[in-house]
Amino acid sequence: MSGSTILFYMLAGLILGSGLLSVTTRQLFRAAIYLLFSLIGMAGMYFWMEYDFIAAVQIVVYVGGITVLIIFSIFLTQQAGELLPQAKFSRSLFSALASFCAFALVMIQILGHTFPTKTATTVDPNVKNIGYQMLGVNSGGGYALPFEVVSMLLLAALVGCIIIALNQKPIKK
Amino acid sequence: MYLVNYIKEVLSALRSLLIGMRRTLFYFTHHKEIITEQYPDNRATLKLADRFKGEVVMPHNENNEHRCTGCTACELACPNGTIKVITKFDITPEGKKKKAIDKLVYHLELCTMCNLCVYACPSDAIKMAQTFEHSVFDRNQLTKVLNFPDSKIMDGVE
Amino acid sequence: MWSISKIASLVHEWLSNTFSATWVTVFEMVIAGVLVISLFAVLGLILVMMERKVSAWIQIRLGPNRVGPKGMFQSAADTVKLLVKEGMTPNGADKLLFNVAPFLAIVVSMLLMAPLAFAKDFTLWDINIGVLYVSAISSVSVISILMAGWASNNKYSLMGAMRSGAQIVSYELSAGLSIMAIVVLTGSLNFNDIILSQADGWWIFKGHLPIWIAFIVFLIAVTAETNRAPFDLAEAESELTAGFHTEYSGMKFALFFLAEYVNVFIVCAIGATLFLGGWMPFHIGHWDGFNHIMDFIPSSLWFFGKTFFLIFLIMWFRWSFPRLRIDQLLNLEWKYLLPISMVNILLVTAMAILKWHF
Repeated sequence: MSGSTILFYMLAGLILGSGLLSVTTRQLFRAAIYLLFSLIGMAGMYFWMEYDFIAAVQIVVYVGGITVLIIFSIFLTQQAGELLPQAKFSRSLFSALASFCAFALVMIQILGHTFPTKTATTVDPNVKNIGYQMLGVNSGGGYALPFEVVSMLLLAALVGCIIIALNQKPIKK
Repeated sequence: MYLVNYIKEVLSALRSLLIGMRRTLFYFTHHKEIITEQYPDNRATLKLADRFKGEVVMPHNENNEHRCTGCTACELACPNGTIKVITKFDITPEGKKKKAIDKLVYHLELCTMCNLCVYACPSDAIKMAQTFEHSVFDRNQLTKVLNFPDSKIMDGVE
Repeated sequence: MWSISKIASLVHEWLSNTFSATWVTVFEMVIAGVLVISLFAVLGLILVMMERKVSAWIQIRLGPNRVGPKGMFQSAADTVKLLVKEGMTPNGADKLLFNVAPFLAIVVSMLLMAPLAFAKDFTLWDINIGVLYVSAISSVSVISILMAGWASNNKYSLMGAMRSGAQIVSYELSAGLSIMAIVVLTGSLNFNDIILSQADGWWIFKGHLPIWIAFIVFLIAVTAETNRAPFDLAEAESELTAGFHTEYSGMKFALFFLAEYVNVFIVCAIGATLFLGGWMPFHIGHWDGFNHIMDFIPSSLWFFGKTFFLIFLIMWFRWSFPRLRIDQLLNLEWKYLLPISMVNILLVTAMAILKWHF
């Protein structure tokens, strides 16, 4: 067993363990923190696979962005410090069933998929290449159009937020 | 127009920040300006500011005479009852009774060094001294009698 | 001539000759870890001392002057005091998270050390996406503050954590955009590539006005991100006693304190690398004699000199300006820094395309 394999199992243990704790804990804030560690473990997994760029993006988006937002919304919730009520048995049963189904689906896909034994030629992962791959409009199959569409969606969301947050003055008559 | 104002605002903000930083850089590089007093070390050469007020005293001249007439203006002026004037009646050579002080009791532990008694005194009998090492082990030692024993009022002070 | 990179390669050679490849990796990791931790300790001592002296001189005071010559061992004495103090955990606190938070803070600062180029050919981890890595990891540091604030079960801590979170999340944007200006000009996220691109002049000299704007925005934004005055609302003493670390004492408090100072060092090191050329010596055009003399100064000295210059600048800010209110803080970011840096990045892009820079 090489050091790399040990590292893989440690990361996998971190992801699974903190994920399990995240759904079983009865303290809301702790659940968010466990989720955070699970996401950090995934970033570590990307680092382990030497996909540095994706790992960094994982940390920026999920750890630095989404988890912070979750924690903020917990902070702003009343009685967030109290223990959550014990889940009903039927509900836990259905949740377990749902997660088992999802797990089975993923496993069927993975087991049925034939992975290429030879890895494709490695592309030099410098910024220029990543940029051309992602935003190039020519033959490289870039993602410029989806990127723009998503940014339009975000713009619409931002405008919506501003409209909601605007101080509406009463109409004078 | 809005843009011009915006840029002007940013530039003036930067300018005012730089002015502040120039001031602090001046102090940073000019160590002569340092005002810290190394108190117990420089006790012999310590010079206090003129406005420093440490304690009320009553100056006496070489003949053991003071200028206090015992009018109790200081006692009335004191906001927290620090001064207590105990008066007596002297017999003048003409056989008249004259008001004079027996004791001017001063409670240093109550004093806030507000200087109102010094302002109130019509005959400049008391003033503020610059002493400040007042700590003692017994609180009673802070109650002082300002006039010296057997002191008299100066001639010509009414 | 002896240089840090030469010593490192000698150590590596000796290890590879004596042990097998796996053990070499393990030993080198241990050595790197010990070096990083000792750098932490030394930096903590030096920076605290420097801060106290700088603040004293700026405020026309003497500063610490009792322990050791000119008071230079004061921070060592403080460290001993913090080490022997009792680390309390409040009764109502979330004990696990309360105790994890300071370690998370310090681990994040340790991770940020990895891609820095301390000297010529001397980097712990020459990662391809250094700049992105740094901005990603530094966004985790807010989690430790939020965690400490929540777990303390104290209203001051919680408010401090909230403020700090809002502040870090919003100032990360303009810090990132000002870093992007350099990335656009260099075309690389790797710190060593960025430094090598400044061999013929640092970006602050080559990049005209837009880089100056980026530099100023960067300085303001990182001052806010490290929670230092004038942006220290998270621990505003007069309002929140000590913000998120109100309930911490002893070594756990010291870890937060250390993490703050090390973060200052790291952001200044990044600023020095991006704008002032990292370990690149100062060269002027074709003055070969002058340039040759400059080359004799070791590269690590250049790096630390520039970093400490920026640290001094940030300390100078701290002791010159009053603290901002929360609304002023957010106005500054969203109404001034962000639009300016967005326009600025357009200017830089135009400059990079038209090759206007030197």
